[in-house]
Amino acid sequence: MLNISHLSKTFDTLKAVDDISFAIGDGEIFGFLGPNGAGKTTTISMIAGLLKPDSGKIQVDNMDLKSDIQKIKKIMGVVPQEMAFYEELSAKENLFFWGKLQGLGRNILSERTTYYLDKTGLTGRANEPLKKYSGGMKRRINLIIGLIHQPKLLLLDEPTIGIDVQTKLNIYELIREASEKGTTILYTTHNLKEAEELCHRIAIIDNGKILALGTLEELIQIVGEKDIVLFTGNFKTDLVSQIMLEFKDSEVLSISEEKIVLSVEASKNIPVILEAFFKAGLAIEDISIKQPNLESVFLKLTGKELRE
Amino acid sequence: MVILGFMLIPLVFTFIFGIVFGGQDEETLPRITLLTVDNDKSLISNFLSTAMSQGELKKMIELKPMETEEEGRQLLSKGKASALLLVPKNFGKDILDGKKAEVLLLKNPSEQFLPLIAEEITDTTTLILSSLLSVFSEEVDTIRGFIEMNKLPDTDISAFSVQVKNRIESISKYVFPPVISLQQETITEEGKEETGMISVHGYILPAMAIMFLMFICNVVFSDILIEKETKTLLRLNVSRMSMTEFIWSKIVTSALIGMLCTFFLMGLGVALFSINWGNLFSIFLIVLCLNILVAGFIAFLYSFIKTESQAGAVLSSVILIMSLLGGSMMPVDNFPSFIQQISKLTLNYWGLKAFLMAQMNESFSKLLPILIGMVLAGVLLSFASSYFIQNNLKRGLLK
Repeated sequence: MLNISHLSKTFDTLKAVDDISFAIGDGEIFGFLGPNGAGKTTTISMIAGLLKPDSGKIQVDNMDLKSDIQKIKKIMGVVPQEMAFYEELSAKENLFFWGKLQGLGRNILSERTTYYLDKTGLTGRANEPLKKYSGGMKRRINLIIGLIHQPKLLLLDEPTIGIDVQTKLNIYELIREASEKGTTILYTTHNLKEAEELCHRIAIIDNGKILALGTLEELIQIVGEKDIVLFTGNFKTDLVSQIMLEFKDSEVLSISEEKIVLSVEASKNIPVILEAFFKAGLAIEDISIKQPNLESVFLKLTGKELRE
Repeated sequence: MVILGFMLIPLVFTFIFGIVFGGQDEETLPRITLLTVDNDKSLISNFLSTAMSQGELKKMIELKPMETEEEGRQLLSKGKASALLLVPKNFGKDILDGKKAEVLLLKNPSEQFLPLIAEEITDTTTLILSSLLSVFSEEVDTIRGFIEMNKLPDTDISAFSVQVKNRIESISKYVFPPVISLQQETITEEGKEETGMISVHGYILPAMAIMFLMFICNVVFSDILIEKETKTLLRLNVSRMSMTEFIWSKIVTSALIGMLCTFFLMGLGVALFSINWGNLFSIFLIVLCLNILVAGFIAFLYSFIKTESQAGAVLSSVILIMSLLGGSMMPVDNFPSFIQQISKLTLNYWGLKAFLMAQMNESFSKLLPILIGMVLAGVLLSFASSYFIQNNLKRGLLK
């Protein structure tokens, strides 16, 4: 459904997206995981036709975005990070307006509006202006607007930011249902759990580059059987590097004056590493050990934690 | 509500200005310089010239006799006068012979409405004198005899005076006081289409309306910036609607709302101030063309505006300055000639000129070039803005 090949975009001197390539199949939920500023929104904006890439190719349903953008718009839905609707209008009016804009007829619109409002528990407030809605309710409407024409490709840019668990689960349900009906979904997030729970495949992106791509299981294999150990404190980087030379089984992922990230077999190596650090006089304030999961993969790949 | 507010302001202004300037305080109005070239130099041609510099008209018109037509045309082309009145040779003789005679009025093209007033005054004067000719047709022969004899015998004068007195008394109930106090001369002119007069309200309402049309149009276009801020524009841009369609929809909406507002104001102008707008077809075309121009112009300004605060500051300044220069706040004829040239670059000038021409029942052929100019400028500006606004907006859609 979606083929991205060697896509790049630079703003002034900042390389926001750096030669990325990936493909997403029909009905797949593809997670685009990365911290703020990683290049997720820039990528999604280029796919939506809002930004012109510097280089690379975007194909949707075997159509080239450059030449067939109007055709692609008909089969694409976009849910931006921000609430993008008319707050003065009611939920029903908004859904009718945006649905009509996507070429839906009155009957089908009426049917789908009823369905989605019911599905999201908003039927009772369908005629209220959206400015009276809570943040979570607005998020649901924001998503439905992108879904109402049942697009073949749905681009979701962090659709669950700042909402309660109940709304989050409701949104996941809608996304899964769309996927089951054949909609391909590109889902950007910086939430590891969300990516783990929802996505069939995940691409980890940082500094405009895709660092790893695969299913959750495939990604976890990157860290193997080793744990990711995080030391925080006050360190001398040269000294730490020297000490770690003695531990051939351990891999140093990143070192700074405040933080050391290691890939080690924790149960076997941590006591001896700790002893070496104490002997060298390093002040350790905290130690945390991550079992192999997406978080540890992210740590291993980027050397930094991904916080919500 | 904002649009309704903008519609009410011109009405309030018209009402206030009507009270201030409609009270015959002509000293506040610019004086019309009317050049005359009398190629006849007869008693009657002299009466015609002096008729326009008598009584109340003297306050409005400064009459400047010229020796030659060339001299008059030169002064007119330099913008030193509003109009040039040419009285042909044998003018007086033709009148006394009962033949049709005509005078020629050349108007200063660089002035907006003073030449129209000069034309009106000339028209009215000749009309009055023509009427008098028909009433005093018998007495004209007597006058002619006096002129040809080049002497005035007392007995004849006495008999003539009695005859005139009787005639005046017989028509006095119809014509007193306006005609008799004016002149005792006659003149005929070539049949001209009846023309209308511009009232103070008839000037101020369209002048103000054009200015506020720009503000109304600005309200419509400011929605673009609001939609940009609220991200609905982003969503529109990824829907089936293209940015070009979106911008053109704004231009068309703006022109349509502008048209509705103009017609509404004009209707109120008729109801409240008894303004005679002239031919309905011409008026419809003026309103249509003007609103195309206004929508195109404001859209073009939005090509360079990025935020609502910019729109508030820049657009208001541009609209106010344009309105001042273009005659929406005071007649362009009050400005020095170089500013009058700048005035022609404003849409207020052309819109107002078209409205005044329609009120004066000017022929459609004279109006047509102005209408074509307004439409062409409006469409060109719309196309340019469609391109520029797209680029401008796309850059700002993503933070």
